[in-house]
Amino acid sequence: MSKSKSNKAAKVATEKRDLLLDLLKLQGAQVYNDLDKGKFPQFSVPSRSVSNIVYDKKLRQYILGNAASLRSSRNMSQLRSFTQLMWLAFFANRLVHEKKSSTLRDVYYSSQAFEVEFEDQPESDNIIVDLEAVLARPREDFHIFPEERSSIFGDLTIEYTVPGYEGKRTNLSNHPDGYLIGPSLSSAELVDTSAELVIAIEKGGLFTRFIEEKVDKKFKAIIVDTAGQAPRATRYLLKRLHEQMKLPVVILTDGDVYGEHIAMVIKSGSANAAHLRELTVPDAKWMGVWASDIDKFKLPTIPMTESDIKRIYDLQKDPRYQEGIWKTELEIFLKIKRKAELEAFSKYGLTNITDKYLPQKLELSKSL
Amino acid sequence: MSKEVFNQISPSEFFYRNRDLAGFSNPTRSLYTAVREFVENGLDACDQQGILPDIHLYIKAVDPEKPDPKPYVLTVKDNGPGMDSNQIPLAFGTVLYGSKFGLKQARGMFGLGATMAILYGQITTNKPVTVSSSVDGKTLHKYEMMLDIQKNKPVIMKHTKEETNKKGLNVSITLDGDYSKAGSKIRDYVYQTSLITPYATITFDDPKGEKFQYKRIVDTMPPAPTIIRPHPHGVDVETIRRMIADTHYQVPVLDNAMIDKVKKELGLSKKNLNFEGIMARAEKKWSSLSRPVRVIVSVMSFLNMDFEKIMKIRLEDIDLVHKRLTYYDFGDSKLVTVDMPKSSNYYKQLANTVQGDSLVTFLTKRFQRIGQATAIKFAEFANLKAEKRIGSFTNEELVQLSDSLQKYEDFLTPDPSCLAPLGEEPLRKGMSQFFKPDFLEVYQRSASAYSGFPFVVEMGIAYGGNIPPGKMTVYRFANRIPLLYDEGSDVVLKVVNETDWNRYKVKNESPVVIVSHICSTRIPYKTVGKENVADREEIEKEIRLALQYLSRKLAAYMSKRGLAEIEKKRANLYLKYLPLIAQFSTELAGKNKEPDYKKVIKDLNNVQVEEQ
Repeated sequence: MSKSKSNKAAKVATEKRDLLLDLLKLQGAQVYNDLDKGKFPQFSVPSRSVSNIVYDKKLRQYILGNAASLRSSRNMSQLRSFTQLMWLAFFANRLVHEKKSSTLRDVYYSSQAFEVEFEDQPESDNIIVDLEAVLARPREDFHIFPEERSSIFGDLTIEYTVPGYEGKRTNLSNHPDGYLIGPSLSSAELVDTSAELVIAIEKGGLFTRFIEEKVDKKFKAIIVDTAGQAPRATRYLLKRLHEQMKLPVVILTDGDVYGEHIAMVIKSGSANAAHLRELTVPDAKWMGVWASDIDKFKLPTIPMTESDIKRIYDLQKDPRYQEGIWKTELEIFLKIKRKAELEAFSKYGLTNITDKYLPQKLELSKSL
Repeated sequence: MSKEVFNQISPSEFFYRNRDLAGFSNPTRSLYTAVREFVENGLDACDQQGILPDIHLYIKAVDPEKPDPKPYVLTVKDNGPGMDSNQIPLAFGTVLYGSKFGLKQARGMFGLGATMAILYGQITTNKPVTVSSSVDGKTLHKYEMMLDIQKNKPVIMKHTKEETNKKGLNVSITLDGDYSKAGSKIRDYVYQTSLITPYATITFDDPKGEKFQYKRIVDTMPPAPTIIRPHPHGVDVETIRRMIADTHYQVPVLDNAMIDKVKKELGLSKKNLNFEGIMARAEKKWSSLSRPVRVIVSVMSFLNMDFEKIMKIRLEDIDLVHKRLTYYDFGDSKLVTVDMPKSSNYYKQLANTVQGDSLVTFLTKRFQRIGQATAIKFAEFANLKAEKRIGSFTNEELVQLSDSLQKYEDFLTPDPSCLAPLGEEPLRKGMSQFFKPDFLEVYQRSASAYSGFPFVVEMGIAYGGNIPPGKMTVYRFANRIPLLYDEGSDVVLKVVNETDWNRYKVKNESPVVIVSHICSTRIPYKTVGKENVADREEIEKEIRLALQYLSRKLAAYMSKRGLAEIEKKRANLYLKYLPLIAQFSTELAGKNKEPDYKKVIKDLNNVQVEEQ
């Protein structure tokens, strides 16, 4: 892979960072000027209420509608959250300037140094999402990450951009446990890969099995462990792999309604992040385990719980589940009322899933 | 079979046997009751005379080392009018002797309690009561007495006189008591009494050497209540019977003075005429004769007696129903009855005298607030002749009269001048001094009546200040007596508990004190212990109205206070957050100097107005 491409990517990253800093400065200056003029400053915060979340068929993801609410420092009931939001912008500004990263929990505790109080972490998490909405940027852009980490493995060379590691390159097949998708990896430039495919897999156990079975080599794949519902950094990375490295993304999940939805969130986003536009891979393909596979592969099953069934009914109302396999598989789940885990293939031997199921499904997915 | 023996027992014997009734059931209760009786007597004595009370209560253990219950010396000293020396033995040595039987409000009712305390002291310690009194502020009469319980008579052991410079009464008894148990109640009692008697100074020296003193807060006393005529709704048949007897013109006693008066009016001072002569002279001078003389002349006419003869008899009965006159003849030592011919003019004269007033006059003269018109209307209602003389009523007619008095609804409400409520200002000052509250409101309802007994409800409510948060405190008073026991079943508590305090913005732990004072010529106590007021409909209604009035005022205050708190909170919030916003925006905007946000804070007042 050419050096110029890497430079270009770095440049893009720097531009993006500068843009964010400009955005923060702009918001800050506005508040500063209002105060200086003796006016109560205010923010327009896009409404994240359910009524303002719509599915955009063109973008193939959930987005926020036009509704926005004014958060004013004049209003006593909003004064506190206004201050919290200002503090967070201030804190994010420092993080980005100083190239430091933080976690959701860390933010919650950091606030206390500034006499800005949060009742609990959910309150501070919520303000973080508010800032994302105001800036229309994911929190990862201002260096705030979740604690949960998923992993990645495969022939992918990256170049770190985090302080102290700038310019340093690593190949993600160097470590047999895979690499944690943390802040440094999220912000790294993607330099080169020989892979032709990305396989996102729901379970850590299967991720390790895939590495052991050299799925990366056999299928020319980069393997990503989503560790359940994929964290946003992971989804962001998947999107970049797809867009920057032009790799197709397939998703392998448990054979239940939650697995189906994990695939859908990678593909078209979640309502929780409807204010963000950079987390979806609309072309990603869910290759199973489908409800229909359960019978087809004679997989051992577990009966569904009440909440599993309720979840099916909920998803049936979602506009994204109105057609194709998304619709038919939900219907089959509801019919058989049983589910199967990825590990169920082990009934036929430890390598059955990689030897038999995976090749079949990959072949099939090409036609999806 | 043994023969049953019937004995008459004296009142003191009766109370000796039934002392539980009067609150002397055990050493704890007895000590408390004795304190109450003496303190209340002292306050009453001062109240009646318009003297600002200065009451000093001492309780001292005879032998402090002994465990409770043990003998205590209880002394109450007042600065009242004192008591006449010759009244003292009867007042303190006789049960059911007192000055409190009239229809007016006083703390005690029968003067019974003090004697009971003395009696209790005597039977538990066998020590005499000491009473010192000075009426003139110069001579002090000091009695040491014991009670002869069986004869209901005082036994004076010592009577001395000494010089003094203070008026007042000082009563001291020795009794078995339990101060370790009764102490808190007695202290409560003294405290609460001071609250409802802000014009008094009350000092209490307790047996442990502690001194509790509540100084006078106001210098004006409520006007002393007056004795008044009864309201028709408040009387029963027996009371009416007694009132009728009172209305009879008393047949004059035939003594020398009376005979001299008759002679003088007839102009016979020096002459002595025979019977016919006397009658002739009387007929001639009739119009100028006074009523007693006319009565004597009438009696003489029926008895056919001259002055000589009539001096030797005693009139026993004038029985108009049977038209008979009975007298006792000293000469013959026998009762003699003679007929009175109805046709005689003298009969009418005598009848008018003996039968008393007409119904209308009886009603207007003997009852409060009944005028001529009301009396006539009532007579129609009762189906009785307005002009009929009350003395000639048959038993059936009397019952008809008393029944109708209860049923007739157009009588005016009772006259409250016999009541002595504390008044709004003294109550306000008292509560203000006691609780130093943030909010205080007092209210006196106008007089009302239940079954003919007038009553007045006055109440106060206080919030915050020195009042500790916690359960709402209700101080109950009746005729200026604190009610400390049995609060659970009291009408005031009932009304307070039935109030939806949330509606008045009062929360569970709110620091609230309610003072309730019911004044009446007869408080409807539920029990003999005089500790809780029964829920008479009329009284309950007055309490409810008073409490509603006060609660509304409190609610208004609470709302205002709530708003003020919000204002304050708001101001604090802006003062806290605006500097932070300024700080953060300065760094974000990349400026060196903070914006001048103080202008915004100055603007806060305007903001508050806008947002309300």
